[in-house]
Amino acid sequence: MVICIIALPVFAFLGLFSLKYRILAAEAFRCLFRTAQLKPCDSRLNQRIKINFTSKLMWWPSLAKGVYKNFAILSWIFVILMIGSTIATGYGFYNYVKYGNCNGPDSSAFCVFNAFSEQSIQNDSCSSNITAVFGELKSYKSAENLSVGG
Amino acid sequence: MNINKIRADFKILNQKNAPVYFDNACTTLRPNSVIDKMREYYEIYPSCGGRSHHKIGERVTEEVLKARIEVAKFFNAKNESEIIFTRNTTEGINLVANSLKWKKGDKVLCSDKEHNSNLVPWLLAKQRGILKHEVFRFGDLNDFSKKVRGARLVSIVHTSNVDGTSQDVKEMIKIAHENNSIVLIDTAQSAPHKETDVRKLDCDFLACSGHKMLGPSGMGVLYGKMDLLKQLNQFIVGGETVTNTNYTSFDAEKVPEKFEAGLQDYGGIVGFAEALKYLKKIGLNEIERYEQKLNERLTSGLLNLGVNIIGSKDAKLRGGIVGFNVGKADSHDVSMMLDSYNIATRSGMHCAHSWFNAHSIKGCSRASFYIYNTEDEVDFMLEKMKDIVKILE
Repeated sequence: MVICIIALPVFAFLGLFSLKYRILAAEAFRCLFRTAQLKPCDSRLNQRIKINFTSKLMWWPSLAKGVYKNFAILSWIFVILMIGSTIATGYGFYNYVKYGNCNGPDSSAFCVFNAFSEQSIQNDSCSSNITAVFGELKSYKSAENLSVGG
Repeated sequence: MNINKIRADFKILNQKNAPVYFDNACTTLRPNSVIDKMREYYEIYPSCGGRSHHKIGERVTEEVLKARIEVAKFFNAKNESEIIFTRNTTEGINLVANSLKWKKGDKVLCSDKEHNSNLVPWLLAKQRGILKHEVFRFGDLNDFSKKVRGARLVSIVHTSNVDGTSQDVKEMIKIAHENNSIVLIDTAQSAPHKETDVRKLDCDFLACSGHKMLGPSGMGVLYGKMDLLKQLNQFIVGGETVTNTNYTSFDAEKVPEKFEAGLQDYGGIVGFAEALKYLKKIGLNEIERYEQKLNERLTSGLLNLGVNIIGSKDAKLRGGIVGFNVGKADSHDVSMMLDSYNIATRSGMHCAHSWFNAHSIKGCSRASFYIYNTEDEVDFMLEKMKDIVKILE
């Protein structure tokens, strides 16, 4: 059941693009809804994720065994990490909107949102470089065509 | 049996990353000849049988009759009219359950290891206050002899889909007839794997599914002795089950048409007959021997790994089915792990919840073989089971 807490938002997002994930998201939702009603989760999604995870580690049986046996604990760790990172991201975003820096007022530390906007500027310059290269190529090709035609 | 030649007939087994298909008790793969025969219907004579008197319609009627004769020969029925086409075993059993002229309080006897298809129709009739339903221990002739007394109908599975064990149905039919009981046998798991002769067995009804014997899905057969079929009420009625109607009454068709309502699955019917031809060409005795060989190999390998086998440890008693559990691990986990290696097995209670519940077992994984499986595939599964056992134990 625990892993469904993570599965729901992840599959719901992926479900925007694929029916396959929409079905999985619905399954995760149903599982959580039933759990909230104190009813047992009747979905096998939890089990399928567990086995998918374990199967990928079969080449190292002791690791696979560790994951298989402790999957509930691992799921809780992932859930706590997801909640923690969601809170941190929200807090950072709040700071960014309010102070222009995600680390709070008067901070000059690295801010992921700043970095993103810088990256987009860099990307823009990169795309203009590419456009220039394509422009050169085009003129080269048309010149070549002309010479063949002549 | 030339396995390589057989495997060449199955497209799925010749593709890249072909699966190890060990879920044949659920449904088998279909050879090209069956698919071609069905395609022939849809492409060459895709019309109505038994009604339309144009050339294409007549061709359908002829092909369906040929198919019925083929099925009758396969089961050694006296004549083809004793063969009723159904959708599957479940429908065949339901047809008998809903068509026999019951008297209130009539008793139906089943084994304690029935598929839901041979349990729920009787439980439903019991709920409606029509029948009494009783069970005996699967394969136990003494228990059977005691409980068969007063039974109007004995409805029993020949081979269990859980562990592959078979009952001595011939002896049971003899005992049942001595007690004036009618016998219906569910041969969904036996007809595809061993010779089934309705006259030697002397069964009154027999039901089976085409999709478990290389045939198309949605195609099954109910065999019945002609005198009994004539006595049955009609169940599903409508088009082609009557010869004439007016606003107040109707005249019923003769057997078998009176039980085959509406337009039939002609593609499925001709495909099923083709599947039976394919099986006959290989030989049912040969198939039975081969599956047993695979079963012995898998059983001994699993026992060496400390895996629990459901039912007898003697593979010879279990045909082509191996039900197993790895310690207390969930059977779905085992089958899903096998699936990660592209080995298809089934897990859970296999529609025999009653038996599992009675034995307090949560389910089992099940590997089931057919003519295209190989010893190499069994060895591959055993190799992977070693890792799975290490992880799960």
